[in-house]
Amino acid sequence: MFYRQSGVYHTRYAADRALWPIPADRWQVLALAALALAAPLLVSSLYLGSYLMPWMIWTAAALSLSLLMGLAGQLHFGFAAVMAMGAYTSVHLVRAGVPFELALLGAGLFAAVIGTVFGAAALRVKGLYLVMATLAMQYLVDWVIVNVPAISGGAQATLRTPQVRFLGLPIQDLTSRYYLALGWTLLVTLFFLNVKRTSFGRALIAIRDKDFAAAVIGVDPFRYKLLAFMTSSFLGGVTGAVLAFCYYRAVTPEQFSFNVSIQLVAMVLVGGLGSAVGGYLGAGFVLIVPIVLTNLIATLGASQWIDISQNMMAHLPLIFYGAMIIGFLLWEPLGLAKIYDNTRKYFLVWPFRHSRS
Amino acid sequence: MNWLKKTMGSATLAFALAGGAGTAQAQDDTIKFALLQDFTAVYTFVTGEYNQGQQDYLTLINEEGGLDGTMFEAIVRDTGNQPQRGIEAYNRSREEGAILFDFLSTPVSRALVDQVIQDEVVLITALHGRGDASDGTTFPYVFPMMATYWSQATVLAQYIEDNGGLEGKKIAIVHIDSPFGREPIPVLEELASEKNFELRAFPYASPGNEQSATWSEVRRYRPDAVFIWGAGGGQSVSVREAIRNGIAPDSIHSVVWLAETDVANVGADVMTGVKRFEAVATGSDSPIIQRIQEKVIDAGKGAGDSANVGTTYYNIGVATMAVSVEAARLALEAHGAPLDGPKLKAGFEMISDFDADGFMPPVTITESDHQGGGSGRVGQWDGNAWVPVGDWGAAFQEIVRKEIEAGAADYREGK
Amino acid sequence: MAYFLELLLNGALTGLMYSLVALGFVLIYKSAGVPNLAQGALVMTAAYVVWIFTSYGLPLWLAVLLGAVAMFALGLLVERFLLRRMVGQPVIMVVMLTLGIEILLRGLVPGILGAAPKPLNAGIGLSPVIIGDVFLNRAYIVGGVVALLLIGASLLFFRTRLGTKMRAVSDDHLASWAVGLSVERAIGLSWGIAGIAAVGAGTLWGAVQGVDWTLSALLFPAIAVVILGGVDSIAGVLLGGLLVGILGSVVPGYLDSYVGGSTRDVVTSLIILLTIMIRPYGIFGREDIERI
Repeated sequence: MFYRQSGVYHTRYAADRALWPIPADRWQVLALAALALAAPLLVSSLYLGSYLMPWMIWTAAALSLSLLMGLAGQLHFGFAAVMAMGAYTSVHLVRAGVPFELALLGAGLFAAVIGTVFGAAALRVKGLYLVMATLAMQYLVDWVIVNVPAISGGAQATLRTPQVRFLGLPIQDLTSRYYLALGWTLLVTLFFLNVKRTSFGRALIAIRDKDFAAAVIGVDPFRYKLLAFMTSSFLGGVTGAVLAFCYYRAVTPEQFSFNVSIQLVAMVLVGGLGSAVGGYLGAGFVLIVPIVLTNLIATLGASQWIDISQNMMAHLPLIFYGAMIIGFLLWEPLGLAKIYDNTRKYFLVWPFRHSRS
Repeated sequence: MNWLKKTMGSATLAFALAGGAGTAQAQDDTIKFALLQDFTAVYTFVTGEYNQGQQDYLTLINEEGGLDGTMFEAIVRDTGNQPQRGIEAYNRSREEGAILFDFLSTPVSRALVDQVIQDEVVLITALHGRGDASDGTTFPYVFPMMATYWSQATVLAQYIEDNGGLEGKKIAIVHIDSPFGREPIPVLEELASEKNFELRAFPYASPGNEQSATWSEVRRYRPDAVFIWGAGGGQSVSVREAIRNGIAPDSIHSVVWLAETDVANVGADVMTGVKRFEAVATGSDSPIIQRIQEKVIDAGKGAGDSANVGTTYYNIGVATMAVSVEAARLALEAHGAPLDGPKLKAGFEMISDFDADGFMPPVTITESDHQGGGSGRVGQWDGNAWVPVGDWGAAFQEIVRKEIEAGAADYREGK
Repeated sequence: MAYFLELLLNGALTGLMYSLVALGFVLIYKSAGVPNLAQGALVMTAAYVVWIFTSYGLPLWLAVLLGAVAMFALGLLVERFLLRRMVGQPVIMVVMLTLGIEILLRGLVPGILGAAPKPLNAGIGLSPVIIGDVFLNRAYIVGGVVALLLIGASLLFFRTRLGTKMRAVSDDHLASWAVGLSVERAIGLSWGIAGIAAVGAGTLWGAVQGVDWTLSALLFPAIAVVILGGVDSIAGVLLGGLLVGILGSVVPGYLDSYVGGSTRDVVTSLIILLTIMIRPYGIFGREDIERI
């Protein structure tokens, strides 16, 4: 349709290596970026603040985790704890008088240090054991946050984020917070897209496919596994700080509980492991579908279309969330990204049936 | 672009459906209360009955003709105790015109306190959320409106003081290891130094399904009285372990979260003598519950299982709405329709000695005191029902006030 | 000293009750190589099923029996329609699928049967068993005995003809296929038996704390048990359970008042972490050797 392409024919290597080799893709990305930039003018504050902004921030989180799980193949069931580290570090740094820009950096660095400790387990084990080890670390971090009042903020266990300025601009109203979140997410996306084209990214992929084999061809698994944990934790830590300052504006331990870790893994899997588009789609799906479903069911219930108990109605989104994870794993293990890819390939040569991309 | 179109398309459709009905129901004077609570996660032990009581009371007011024709509407949503879902539900309900919010979830309430104050809508945080929100000058739009955990601890302590005295006693507080469980400790410590009794805290791991090690330690401490501070399944485990460890049932004093389900769990006869804090009368004898029974339940308009009517948490739900409707009535009288956040807030602050026909302690809410006095009473399980063993009253409010002001001062400093 | 003994014995008994939850996990892992993170939710489901039978006025033994039949069927169904399609998939897919089942059950069961806690009366008295100055929890003694019986029965089961077949299947799927053993049936059976083990755990824990969704949180101590004992060892469940229970009782018993917080989850987390760092395959587990 709008691709108007009979296949992909490049005449120069540079064109082939471009992030988006096909013009139509470039236009789509530009159009989407323009839409995202214009969003504060286009949608009401309800959709900007409760849908778009969390979607963007969780996308950044999902991409950070996808870097680790999708590219390097290291499982991580404690990523919420990494984000918590970033959030708490940034809040405490800003309160101590550190400028916000540096606090964001500090959040990332501290999360990277602790995240690398998480990664130490990955040097020893993989697969199921890595899942269990990261899960145990999530519990440990949760415990430390709850039990050290100096971290969690005393009796109420709530830390409000101070007002901050980013590069001289106040981050206070919804629009500025949205732009900060959007900017960070775009940065993470660009990093994610480009890392696959570097030797670092290729080393990670080699390790994912078989770490022993990677060692044989000269990729040091020890170094690259730790680097993968470090990079991903750095991104996750900054994302946690952005989440705290832009979205929640008050940090509490429950925001980074074990369930959030599961949610993040679900985002990565439902979206598609190691895919940038998948990060966006997965985060949107896992985050927004339960909300839409809650509202939809409540509306149907109010208009007497469905006659079920309040209790059952409340549990339907949870049921759907579980069923959705099961459904994707059974029928489309490569996630929404694969569905997007199939659709795109179909339209690439539409109205003909076969593509040669 | 296709995926975008598809997602956008289906999302828009869903939003249109969800939003469309909201606007269709929006009539000018209907007063909307948003009850955006946790039906599926941490608060499941209370939310069902609590929310049923709230809805039934609003139905009752509507059946009786509303407030001079002004009707109430409840917007009920599940938030699953997740702040991000709570924030969405809050923003949506606000667009639908809700002026009062009840999350019954500490994480969601805490995440939205600032927003509520900025948006000038009322947030009620009965028996959850920040206790220091009782300071109305710092938290103008937040109304705990029932005894905070601090006041509950002092009411229980006062009961011991009245029945044998506190001096020289050894009191153990066995609590869930969370900010909620630790909340009463500073107040009790202050009391301990003032009244010369010994206090020791024993934490157990959340969610509290296994507490045997903790209670072995408690037994060796040989306490004269035990406070149990938990919620949900952990509470019945606490009571059971206490009795098993030879602690007399009538020296067990519980936070407000101990109800019929826990009794059924422990066994009605075993639990005879256990005391708890009561914020609201339990049972179906009160005139207000009689009215609900007659006009809502018997008419088939109840929001849930009629067996729940009159249970502890159901009645607490009714009480929250009774106070809120009273506030709306006063606000309408003073400022006229249509109501908005600031008018409703003013209405709350006009409430004086309101007890819903003896259903609850007299509540007086002022501009500075949003707790409403911090009154309650002690109830005891007599084998068949919860019977009050004291009168409504508040105790040691000067200590509670100190705690409230310390918290509020921290909040003002941006902490 | 009596204090230490009491912590030790009650801890050991609690640990045995954790073993009961862990037993289902190990049975499935042993035969199918699937880490079943939905075992906690199966325990919750089993408790609800037993509760619903008792609420119709059936005596407890009949309710447990019917519950065992129902949970056996549920185990078979889950394996046949969900897990069988995941054969050969990477472990992350399997882990996430079982977590999906966990979430689904946690929504479905309380959604249909009610989220408020339900009482389940197992008819166990409250008074403790007193030996000197040591008070033992009667419910835990019953739980410990049931756990021992079920673990013993599982050990014996693997010595029967059917059990031998299942061991063969767990050793090598392809070789078992080649000699004509039905791998599917063996794996299905292990899910069914895990369902029955869940009934034991659900009834006992339900009697201790009431029946609601928090029962599924028992997964976490159960994971510590299986990691410590070895994910594919039934004897490991026994020893792992005892150790997790004892450490989770004795350490908090002495440390909590100094720390001012409950250290039990820390102990459990550290057990998982240290085992994985020092001896990942656990005390009795089989070490996997990997080839390129």
